[in-house]
Amino acid sequence: MADIKEFKLEIPQTQIDALLEKLRLSTLPDELEGSAWELGSPLSDVARLKQYWQTQFDFSKFQQQINELPQYVTPVTVEGFGTLDIHFVWQKSQIKNAIPLLFVHVSAKAEIHLSCLSQGDGVNKPAFEIVAPSLPNFGFSEGAKQRGFDISKYAEALNQLMLKLGYEEYVTQGGDWGYMITRTMSLKYPEHVKACHINLARPSHAPKFFENPLLAIKHAIVPYTQLDKQGLARGRWFSAEGSGYNLEQSTKPQTIGYALADSPVALLAWIYEKLHDWTDNYPWTDDEILTWISIYHFSRAGAWASVRIYYEATHATNGIARTRAGSYIPHVPLGIARFPQELYGAPSTWNATMAPKVYQSDNSKGGHFAATENPEAIVRDLNIMLSPGGIAHKVVRDRSGYQRFGSKL
Amino acid sequence: MSSIKPFKISIPDSALSSLHAKLSSATFPNELSDAGWSMGAPLADIKRLATYWRDTYSWRKAEAHLNTFPQYTVPISIPGHDPLEIHFIHARSKRENAIPLLFIHGWPGSYYEVLKILPLLTNSSDPSIPSFHVVAPSLPNFAWSDGPTKKGFGLEQYAHTLHGVMQALDYKEYVAQGGDWGGFLSRLLAKLYPSHVKAVHTNFPVHAFPKPWRNPICFLQAIAGIALSSEIRAGLAHTQKYFDEGDGYLKEQDTKPQTLAYALTDSPTALLAWIYEKLHDWTDAYPWTDDEILTWVSIYVFSRMGAGASTRIYYESGHPLAGSASRMEVIQSYIPNVPLALAYFPNEIVRLPLSWAWTNGPVVQQTTFEVGGHFAAFEVPELLAGDLRKLFGANGPCLGVVQGKRGF
Repeated sequence: MADIKEFKLEIPQTQIDALLEKLRLSTLPDELEGSAWELGSPLSDVARLKQYWQTQFDFSKFQQQINELPQYVTPVTVEGFGTLDIHFVWQKSQIKNAIPLLFVHVSAKAEIHLSCLSQGDGVNKPAFEIVAPSLPNFGFSEGAKQRGFDISKYAEALNQLMLKLGYEEYVTQGGDWGYMITRTMSLKYPEHVKACHINLARPSHAPKFFENPLLAIKHAIVPYTQLDKQGLARGRWFSAEGSGYNLEQSTKPQTIGYALADSPVALLAWIYEKLHDWTDNYPWTDDEILTWISIYHFSRAGAWASVRIYYEATHATNGIARTRAGSYIPHVPLGIARFPQELYGAPSTWNATMAPKVYQSDNSKGGHFAATENPEAIVRDLNIMLSPGGIAHKVVRDRSGYQRFGSKL
Repeated sequence: MSSIKPFKISIPDSALSSLHAKLSSATFPNELSDAGWSMGAPLADIKRLATYWRDTYSWRKAEAHLNTFPQYTVPISIPGHDPLEIHFIHARSKRENAIPLLFIHGWPGSYYEVLKILPLLTNSSDPSIPSFHVVAPSLPNFAWSDGPTKKGFGLEQYAHTLHGVMQALDYKEYVAQGGDWGGFLSRLLAKLYPSHVKAVHTNFPVHAFPKPWRNPICFLQAIAGIALSSEIRAGLAHTQKYFDEGDGYLKEQDTKPQTLAYALTDSPTALLAWIYEKLHDWTDAYPWTDDEILTWVSIYVFSRMGAGASTRIYYESGHPLAGSASRMEVIQSYIPNVPLALAYFPNEIVRLPLSWAWTNGPVVQQTTFEVGGHFAAFEVPELLAGDLRKLFGANGPCLGVVQGKRGF
């Protein structure tokens, strides 16, 4: 375990100065009158954020806040790719049999909210021990150097990490790419992944009679709820109006990479559009936004590397299709949290096809970045799933999350 | 007309300094080993071009050359918008009765695309070959033309602008030639001004996929099994590749051109990569020189409205105001009465069956070429000029379509 080293973020002043110089020299486009958000990130917002980043954002405080979390970095072996340094937050629990939770979100800041999870006292609520990595190519983890680092490789890297930390069995929580990665992990490693919770679900299809007769009948008879319909509508909006970045990143990540490398303003606008469009009126502060974007800007692999996941997932040659995560995966109980402004909202009957046991929560507030917008909902779901009566109670051998004396059992 | 003024490009020194400063502090991404062109513009190419652009390329030399062409501006009024000052080349043949030809560029092109074919079209040395008076405007939001400040400047507004330029020059009747947006706009002009536009020639044969398939990928996959000639199969496979790998730029420009504009405006290397990828992918092994590429891209850098504005045509064409034509509607329209000629180049973005052209209008000529791509006028000007000469020539289907201006 000697090569699990503590991590402290220390950005060289030269890098900060280079960023400030680029911001100073930056050129902004004009904008059509009255376009608001329709054609993309509005000029007044981007100009304001650029100015704040350049003149007021506190880079020391930014680093300090990140360094308040217990962080480590360790090399992990991924077949065909050698070893990659994986950075992770590791929030250990006082309670001996706390449940190991792998928290997989692209947003590097979400783990800060998950600290409320490890507050579980092991008496009234299950206790968790949290591992929140930066994915390879993101945050402070190393990037892959060759083609072919597809979703199964991300899955492998994270599973290797958990095993290295001594967790033979664990549960996962994921959103955005974390959805696909954790579902792929439950497909490939059911001996290790004992339960899965996701705040984004893309079931491949409605229930089919020969696979799920009861669900298929229910789907045929019971009309879609209002939430079901809103989710489908949101999915159509996303496909028609919000997925340009997705298609570009899935086909020409190198081309857009030049923009993300060379222009902090371009990076700011590219990401900020999604922080707005994908959330449920979340009241971002400028500091929150620029913290998010600074993590991309100062990431170890570079902001341009982060978009390669789209390309590799689309061009995977390992036989696991991009849609596999949305089909039935056996063995692993699944929790799904639905949020009104998530990008895809499948109907409940579709979600129910994804695993042998599925728990679904319908939440009234939150969007794609649910772990930031509505972390309490995710914590609540995990508590329900892992507590007595939940679909994943005691799934991890010898780690029920409850202290042995005074246990509710 | 007194409102037509001669024009010379004169980019201020400050713009050149700013470009130089940005190129000097350019930050590059890395690249995955063996990526080649599969993930986008390769790093070695972009670095080489950026270095050449910073250290060796001379905009002033390019500018001087561009200024040897006959350039003008004219204000054009479009209802609902402020008048726009439109830049255009107007090259007259020595032959008085040469055919007035409106040459329309597209994206990521510019009027620069006409410069090689211009002398071939205006050439009057051979009395048996038709000659043309060529008008090649910069579309609004491109190169030295003005652009609208309000939303709602859609394809019809672009067409009205182009027609306005021809009328300002007293060309009551004319013919239109275009690729990319120029292809769609040529046909839209024929629809809006059938008594003025006497023939349309396009090198961008794009047609709607037959019902019931609205999604091109589904359609292409569906017919993959049906017995078709190997030629059509190959064309459809080529088309499939564009929809699978090559239309990311389209989706972004169709939906979020403002977000993209920050990148295209602030980073010359981002703009270079964004355009250069298409100069490579969409041409037929055209041996671009670095000077050609950098003049092409510098026109975007120094453009009057900024590089970011050029992609608004995509958004507007996909979000038309009530009663206005969308891009898809233009693609789907059958425009009667105006003869339609199409030129088919092998590395065009899509390669669809020739029979589909009849969905767009009365087809009078279809020529298939062995070489050339999307930017045909620039890549193979002699072939495109040859096709126009054939169309309007002594044995051509459009001989004498413009009254009193046979061209020879």
